[in-house]
Amino acid sequence: MEGKKKRLLVLYASQTGNAMDVAERVGREAERGGCPSVEVQSMDHFDPNTLPSESTVIFVVSTTGQGDPPDTMKVFWRFLLKRNLGSSWLEGLHYAVFGLGDSGYQKYNFAAKKLDKRLQDLGAKPIIEKGLGDDQHPSGYEGALDPWLMSLWKTLNHVNSTILPEMSEILHPSMNKLEHPKFKIMYHASSEVVQHDSHISDLKDMKNMIERARSMSPSLHGHDHGEPHYLLKMVTNKQLSKGDDGRDVRQFVLEPLASVVEYQVGDVLEVLPGQNPAFVDAFIKRCKLDPDSYITIEPWSGERDAMDSYVNGSSDHPIQLRTFVSRAMDVASASPRRYFFEVMSYYASAEHEKEKLQFFASPEGRDDLYQYNQKEHRTVLEVLEDFPSVELPFEWLVQLVPPLKKRLFSISSSPLAHPNQVHLTVSVVSTMTPLKRRRYGLCSSWLASLDPNKNEEVLVPSWIHRGTLPPPPPMLPLILIGPGTGCAPFRAYIEERAMQNLVESTAPILFFFGCRNRDSDFLYQDFWLAHSSDDGILSEEKGGGFYVAFSREQERKVYVQHKIREQSARVWGLLNAGAAIYLAGSSTKMPADVTEALEEVVAKESGVSREAAARWLKTLEKAGRFNIETWS
Amino acid sequence: MALVLTDEVSLPLRVIRDLKSEGLNEEEAVVITQCGSLGGKLSFGDAFFGTVFVLLSKIDNLTDQWVSEISRVLKPGAQVLLQTLLVPDNQAKPSSQIERKLLISGFVDVQSTDGSQSVLVKGKKASWSTGSSFPLKKTAKVLPKIQLSDESDLIDEDSLLSEEDLKKPELPLVGDCEVGSTRKACKNCTCGRAEAEQKVEKLQLTAEQISNPQSACGNCGLGDAFRCGGCPYKGLPPFKLGEKVSFGGDFLAADI
Repeated sequence: MEGKKKRLLVLYASQTGNAMDVAERVGREAERGGCPSVEVQSMDHFDPNTLPSESTVIFVVSTTGQGDPPDTMKVFWRFLLKRNLGSSWLEGLHYAVFGLGDSGYQKYNFAAKKLDKRLQDLGAKPIIEKGLGDDQHPSGYEGALDPWLMSLWKTLNHVNSTILPEMSEILHPSMNKLEHPKFKIMYHASSEVVQHDSHISDLKDMKNMIERARSMSPSLHGHDHGEPHYLLKMVTNKQLSKGDDGRDVRQFVLEPLASVVEYQVGDVLEVLPGQNPAFVDAFIKRCKLDPDSYITIEPWSGERDAMDSYVNGSSDHPIQLRTFVSRAMDVASASPRRYFFEVMSYYASAEHEKEKLQFFASPEGRDDLYQYNQKEHRTVLEVLEDFPSVELPFEWLVQLVPPLKKRLFSISSSPLAHPNQVHLTVSVVSTMTPLKRRRYGLCSSWLASLDPNKNEEVLVPSWIHRGTLPPPPPMLPLILIGPGTGCAPFRAYIEERAMQNLVESTAPILFFFGCRNRDSDFLYQDFWLAHSSDDGILSEEKGGGFYVAFSREQERKVYVQHKIREQSARVWGLLNAGAAIYLAGSSTKMPADVTEALEEVVAKESGVSREAAARWLKTLEKAGRFNIETWS
Repeated sequence: MALVLTDEVSLPLRVIRDLKSEGLNEEEAVVITQCGSLGGKLSFGDAFFGTVFVLLSKIDNLTDQWVSEISRVLKPGAQVLLQTLLVPDNQAKPSSQIERKLLISGFVDVQSTDGSQSVLVKGKKASWSTGSSFPLKKTAKVLPKIQLSDESDLIDEDSLLSEEDLKKPELPLVGDCEVGSTRKACKNCTCGRAEAEQKVEKLQLTAEQISNPQSACGNCGLGDAFRCGGCPYKGLPPFKLGEKVSFGGDFLAADI
């Protein structure tokens, strides 16, 4: 093991923050066990070339709904798949893999399973068998994590007792030793601050303020995108769905105030939601913080930093505390994690609260915590109100309160049809918890609350990103499948092609849409029908077609996949003519169902076996002619 | 009518005669040289030509715009043939580059022949204008060829999965976890939980319970974290005994 790094490295690939949370717990427990050198890193900040120089690596990877690894794993994984690495490239590396997935999906924990096998094929040795966390488990992924982690530490300790010299701390945690928070807060005198937030007068200052606030947040560090590209104003907020089954689908039209918004079809709009000021104020009051103070946040690096939290002289762009909370800390939507409860227990002065919090943080209380916290979508504010004797220092709040996340939406307009406007087609998320509390999605409900007619302008901080669906050239025939709000990017494609068709010849489009019934959620009905008549680009005369599946208009359920089978000759005709297939939507099972239907169509129309058809579709996917975009 | 297009300055007549062997059956042909100076646009109408020949000296001169134009002036179902000379030090395979450009613009039946000095790529403009003209190939048992970009330096990741992995996963059994999940009843429980352990039915709140809440066990006002499974106040925010219970719903739900 010459030249190998002697540390314990925890590498994680996280999509929504769960894998990161697990990785941090692994690192924390190793430190409690006295491990001399522990490092926790996100996979996209790690150079895979240096993997052979590591001696011990714990991998924590999530699998997304369609069986894919998280975005932060793509480059690392591609590197590992290289043919020329050889079967002894990772000789001498001891590793373990923990995966986070959902057994409700066919491709359960595929990222972790593939990684585990590939590492072995490259010569690495597993310390223990891979652990598979499962969302379907009564207490989520923690159900598998607790026993797996204990097994990991025991095995490591057995093999080499110098790795965890204080193993007893892991086996029987004394619960009276808390780590130091990872960050320190510096307070700045108001007179030293160059840019006062109360003097924000123009858009440029506002964008800058948002960037400064978010770049200061340690949880967002390294994964945020700088200043918003645009601050958009809501000019139309229209409900598209009718009827009282509770579904609320909206059309939002957004415009920039003083610039031109540039985008192409297939792009996505990333939005930073605003938080209800009442909640922000309630949080600040509850935590006894001074909203007007100016702060900077820096990493804590040992005892010497413990002195002197006041800094004189100018510092790195201090931000007003209230602004930081409002723009970077999610106080009334996302649920905190198990570690939050553990830290809270140290700061609870009421005995019954302390006991309860310790119980929640223990393996015995894990299921109860899951019921109380995750299943009820408890917010940070609610948790703090349920445990009123807890006084958490701001350093801990900064580290543990979930970061305020931006949300992505497919753009549903074409700039050719709506210059300088961005359209979104959004379903306002609403869930009922087991205790009958109604929870709304933070971003969708905030957008829905913006009234274009009100005088005070609430602006939407936005970024434009290339989407995963590449924009199709005009001569490429298309098969589009987008039930429900999945139709959003396709409204953009169809608008664009209709405009292109005015000046040049374009290839036809087959569009499959699905909804419950024509009276309640037949989104954009007039639009699709207009283009499917009078020789429009969705018309059968032009080689295209528009087919709707109404799932609840008859006794049995009819979905888009049934319509695809009905039109198998047309679908095959276009595929044979070189068409690309695009699939979009929020339903988790729909892509698998539609793929199955397409396999049947290909097999039936061409006469080949189902297996051959499935392989052909897979090749189509690799060639970029079968694209799937799903969101939850 | 055929179109012969080249980026070269001049085209020997011999070349046109050689093209006859490739399928130039047309009586009449239009020849355009130095097509690079046309700015990517041809002055012919849609679906004008029965065949288009392109002779390229530089493969980069075949822009997406040109491919679009060529497609436009071709009749549906008609053929395009592209020939380019092989340059010795050119790393990328010119035939796959050309094939890709044709495919992405909607050409079908794309094939190439690699010679020692030059490369020939053929493709057909699709014809879909009326539904009946699809070659349905019901008994052909052959699927259209798909061009993939060169990824042979990576292994096939699906080969990493075992038979077991590919089967539909079993959902975990309830109760299949390390520790129990039953919620303990309060020591002096009066709400009924202690007697009926399995039952988790939410008891309805009376008006009296809302305006003057009492709690024998003392935990009901503390919030969900402290309430037991049968507590009638479950789901409500914490409250003080004797004070009217607020429902919290307005405060905590988003404004719509």
